[in-house]
Amino acid sequence: MTTATTPETRERPLDGTVPTVAPLALTAAAAVTPAGLGLGALGAALDGNGPEANRATGEIDGEALPPRPTRAVPDLDFAELLGRKGLRNLDRTTRLALVACRLAVDAYPGRLGHDTGTVWGTTAGSVRSSSEYSRRTLTADPPYLVNPSLFPNTVMNCAAGQVAIRHQLHGVNATLAGGPLAGVQAVRYARNAVRQVQVERLLVGGVEELSAQGCWGWHRSGGLRPHAAVGEGAAVLVLEQEERARREGRPLLARVLAAEVGFAARGRLVPSLAAVVTRALRRSGLSAAEVTTVSFGATQRRGLDRAEERAVRRVLADREPERAVRVNTVVGECSAATGALQLAALLADWRRAGAAAGEVALVPALSADGSVGCLVVQASEGLSQVGDPQTGAASAAERSR
Amino acid sequence: MSAAAGERVAITGLGAVSSAGLGADAFTRTIREGRSTTSPVRGFDARAFPHRYAGEVHDYRPRDWLDRINPDTWGRSSQFAASASRMAVQDAGLADDALARARAGSIMGTTSGESAVTERLVDEWHSGGLESLTPRSVDALPAGRIAAAVNTELRLDGEALTIATACSASNYALGYAYDLVAAGEADYMLAGGADSVNRWAHAGFYRLGALAEEVCRPFDVDRTGILTAEGGVALLLEPYERAVSRGARIYAEVLGYSVNCDAEHMVHPETSSIAACMRAAHRNAQVTPEQIDYICAHGTGTPTNDATEVAAVRQVFGSQPPPISSIKSMIGHTMGAASGFGALACCKALYEGFLPPTANLAQVDPALGPGVDPVPGRAREAKPRVVENHGFAFGGNNAITILGRPA
Repeated sequence: MTTATTPETRERPLDGTVPTVAPLALTAAAAVTPAGLGLGALGAALDGNGPEANRATGEIDGEALPPRPTRAVPDLDFAELLGRKGLRNLDRTTRLALVACRLAVDAYPGRLGHDTGTVWGTTAGSVRSSSEYSRRTLTADPPYLVNPSLFPNTVMNCAAGQVAIRHQLHGVNATLAGGPLAGVQAVRYARNAVRQVQVERLLVGGVEELSAQGCWGWHRSGGLRPHAAVGEGAAVLVLEQEERARREGRPLLARVLAAEVGFAARGRLVPSLAAVVTRALRRSGLSAAEVTTVSFGATQRRGLDRAEERAVRRVLADREPERAVRVNTVVGECSAATGALQLAALLADWRRAGAAAGEVALVPALSADGSVGCLVVQASEGLSQVGDPQTGAASAAERSR
Repeated sequence: MSAAAGERVAITGLGAVSSAGLGADAFTRTIREGRSTTSPVRGFDARAFPHRYAGEVHDYRPRDWLDRINPDTWGRSSQFAASASRMAVQDAGLADDALARARAGSIMGTTSGESAVTERLVDEWHSGGLESLTPRSVDALPAGRIAAAVNTELRLDGEALTIATACSASNYALGYAYDLVAAGEADYMLAGGADSVNRWAHAGFYRLGALAEEVCRPFDVDRTGILTAEGGVALLLEPYERAVSRGARIYAEVLGYSVNCDAEHMVHPETSSIAACMRAAHRNAQVTPEQIDYICAHGTGTPTNDATEVAAVRQVFGSQPPPISSIKSMIGHTMGAASGFGALACCKALYEGFLPPTANLAQVDPALGPGVDPVPGRAREAKPRVVENHGFAFGGNNAITILGRPA
């Protein structure tokens, strides 16, 4: 299916000539995971002090779970963490997102103004909410007897909309349906929003809830290794212009130097991911030799896990990174939350390891559909101060235990 | 041109899969005639629903349009997006191979992603329990498949991003694609959106009191709501100067855009926030309100939307706003694709010289105030130079794009 004219496309820029891009400052981070609230709990779990996977003996909302381990966020007192107002109709996806935001806002050493935006990663929204709503149209008589107050939960930008309402974020409000790529895509999208001066800073997050529908989906699709757990969680990073953060005295936990993405033809995931990682390093002005840490994302995804490892090994010329972080071993498979959790786990690991400012990490991502991506992240001097906030939500959570 | 943008950006190819026709030309003929193309629902059993009309795509056979996307393994929204994108590339006079060699990708908007796949899975759950879910349906569910389908069909190796900011998602996609091309991050980007008619949204909008019985009448005193609809739309963006040098037909120049959030309510729009989004879009495009010759409204046809939208327009434009019409009167509310179809209509309006009409309009709602010109009936011959395209959404997500006649 071709037409007559051939365009004069620009020469593909050689990787060496790809200009570097202004880094983003990462000035706060939060996570809600099966390990508990905060980066500290996540870091401890990464060190092997985390909870065991729950055996799938249970059920969710009366639906039996498949014979596969799961990892759920421990029972949270959402009313205590978020206040009772407006909570009743919110689904678990949105609640987890709101808790992660609360923690991030508490941890942020400044005030979020109106010129703050938010970007969220998702796979297909809350699959539980949309499929339960749809099922109601099969079981109800007449079929339209659905609850209108729950309708917004079926739309994929529900969490982002509720986050904006709760924190009065009037800036860009984007939801990116990238699944495992959503973390890289969200950071890339945030970088553009800051560069275009649309907003001063963004809450960049990812969220996924554990549901019977999701567990069975994973189990039936064969997308996970046999004993891999299905998990849930949310993480939020605050990203902003570096110069402004420094000028206003906010310590940087890390700098995001590059956020590159691409798309692989069938059977070309490894070379495509390797090419994107290489480009991300070049655009960071760094060489592969400077990478100390890799925060993997595809752990326990059948086929994709090995593709990710091979692509990284190819870029690093078979050198083992000093540190490898595999957040999925702690949180289970978290789909669109994975990218944000990879970043949160990286920070938690660096802090526990006492990583020096200047250390460089890769945060790769790849999807069975062909999307590939990679962040390049550099540790900053504020990392040693990345304690979880001791006030507000965190202490409320402590009390609720 | 926006503050940090670099190169000017042209729209040189258009594609559409809609109830109003397949391809941008068929779509535009329907729009110019002011012909409604909504019809009784066939996609699901709607007999027990009081309101049974929708803007479904009936005459679309995916295999006529797609070389690489297998309709057995990809959802309906993905098929719509990939087909519309292929049409846009052909419309732009680009050779497949040349595009695949360039730095090219796609940004696609959606509200409910692969909702037809969701409902297939729900049918399986309902009849055989969750343990009976078929792997093929599960694999087709992620909404990110929509942009992935475009890249797969056209063999693109650049970014494939699906933006899920509900009913303003296509304008979000167009704005982001514009930034990427302007900044030199890509040689070509396809921007647009796709959604499929589904039972649950039909029920949800009905229960919100937002669903019209048979006819969508934006701005009319008797308007009663939306008609749910589906389709796929794609616009091909490239650097303006290169479009000129390759002798491409340039429909429009992307002048700028803005996005913001009401942060007020999940389903009720907010006047001052929409007005702020318009002003920011004007600043970004470096135009003044006086330069806007036409507004392609979000214009859903619900009493609330149209009143809020016109009130916001008055805040920005004063008592004599430019003509403002709604193509949803003809094709229904295509959700995540809606502002993409609006952008396509704007491109054709700029290039061919007309204003898209509002169909089904008997009497403009006097409560909207004097001076509202919804271009009733059929298209009006005109020479608009700068037009404004609205997209608003659940979640308070506003997105407005500004397009200009090539000069």
